[in-house]
Amino acid sequence: MYLKEFSLKNYRNYESLHVQFENKVNVIIGENAQGKTNMMEGIYVLAMAKSHRTSNDKELIQWEKEYAKIEGRIEKQNRFSTVELIISNKGKKAKLNHLEQKKLSEYVGHVNVIMFAPEDLNLVKGSPQIRRRFINMEIGQVSPVYLHQLNKYQKIIQQRNHYLKLLQTRKQKDEKMLDVLTLQLCETASNIIKKRYLFVKQLEKWAQPIHSSISRGMEELRIQYKPSVDVSEEADLSKIVEVYYDRFAKIREKEIERGTTLAGPHRDDLIFYVNGRDVQTFGSQGQQRTTALSLKLAEIDLIHEEIGDYPVLLLDDVLSELDDFRQSHLLNAIQGKVQTFVTTTSVDGIDHKTLKEAAIYRVSSGQLI
Amino acid sequence: MQYPEPISKLIDSFMKLPGIGPKTAVRLAFFVLNMKEETVLDFAKALVNAKRNLSYCSICGHITDEDPCYLCKDERRDRSIICVVQDPKDVIAMEKMKEYNGLYHVLHGAISPMDGIGPEDINIPDLLKRLQNDEIQEVILATNPNIEGEATAMYISRLLKPTGIKITRIAHGLPVGGDLEYADEVTLSKALEGRREI
Repeated sequence: MYLKEFSLKNYRNYESLHVQFENKVNVIIGENAQGKTNMMEGIYVLAMAKSHRTSNDKELIQWEKEYAKIEGRIEKQNRFSTVELIISNKGKKAKLNHLEQKKLSEYVGHVNVIMFAPEDLNLVKGSPQIRRRFINMEIGQVSPVYLHQLNKYQKIIQQRNHYLKLLQTRKQKDEKMLDVLTLQLCETASNIIKKRYLFVKQLEKWAQPIHSSISRGMEELRIQYKPSVDVSEEADLSKIVEVYYDRFAKIREKEIERGTTLAGPHRDDLIFYVNGRDVQTFGSQGQQRTTALSLKLAEIDLIHEEIGDYPVLLLDDVLSELDDFRQSHLLNAIQGKVQTFVTTTSVDGIDHKTLKEAAIYRVSSGQLI
Repeated sequence: MQYPEPISKLIDSFMKLPGIGPKTAVRLAFFVLNMKEETVLDFAKALVNAKRNLSYCSICGHITDEDPCYLCKDERRDRSIICVVQDPKDVIAMEKMKEYNGLYHVLHGAISPMDGIGPEDINIPDLLKRLQNDEIQEVILATNPNIEGEATAMYISRLLKPTGIKITRIAHGLPVGGDLEYADEVTLSKALEGRREI
């Protein structure tokens, strides 16, 4: 899959932009604050219908403008299609081949992108929330049913927390309703957990050889999904429901006392081990970086396996964060198969064949020059 | 500029209706000014009558102008089945089908702690009272297939379990006469889950 044409209108600092990209490495060069990251974000928003930097869509619209529009022409398995996203104060409108899509969930997933930004290096050492977000975004790209389950789970949590608060303040005494909400929670949670286990297993399968080769065969990576309630990977849905339901029965008093749900997929985590040791606690900076890089590269293969096509890769300012060896590993991995966008302030000092053959674009104050 | 009081009051009244914003309210109010007086009177009477003469059936909770309602009174209906729905509008929808010949019970809502609706705020006590009658052999739970509706159905089924009455839940899946290709992913996955051997 690749992005052939791309236009922006009233988007952040771009008043109007139209550009043709090539199906190889595209390097976007510019000084700081000229719009490199905005262009990357634009491609990301076109694919995901939301930004990785902000949850407030209005920030994407240029100052004092009514709407922002992003358009792209995509080649996917030898066929071209156009995608279009309009963001206004009233909301978002998405078009696929000029036809408006009633649900954004039907639009998302048509274009697959993977973004690798400096923040992603936090994936390993940051808070569990970052890792959960990573899992959710990646599974969501290939499974709309997962997104629905996640959405449902959020709503049930809200209902359940409200009810726990009522029990806490003794405005409500009927614990039968809590049983019902708990069962609903467990059923939805079991679906989410099962999908996450599968995803993590796939991710590990692809990340292991990559990690081993970046570390020159010195390190072995293992990824473990750690649910907040211990349940084995092989457990089927009804077993997971059972285990969770039992667990909730045990912590019931504590939950009522605190007035909130204390277990479930919203408190789960991923643990990365290098040579058997937890990288988050015991790994060096370098090992943490290698792990983050292996994960991102593994995602490329994972999406390829799921949808039969390579996603578009967005590398926002990460080359400068990686040392020479990791840089060239990254560039070797994408060579010739993945359309890649790279932002950087200059290409000097990066001596790699892939970059020498790359298409170069220069941006300055929201314009191509 | 300000509207004279009578019309601004009328605009304000229209705005209390669902789906009507300020612009539509103004249009409707000015339309009323141009209507014949007797039409306006009929309209006003219809509004008041609907409110005054309609009440809820003391047995099933359906809207009615006589108590008990025509459905509860009808001797030809099967008195061993009760279909539990959220809203009087659901009763009308079920009746349109003309296939169901049992009784109804209207809950007037679904349990939703977030909106301040607890189990005691919907019409469950009356349902329990009705079930003390030995005649009833099956309760069909026909609440909406969303989170709140499901929770309500589950709650009622737990309450009723000790009574030993057969409790059923309506199915969900593909709409009849529709095209498979137009179904959304979630409905499709539900339909697949609920598949059966033929």
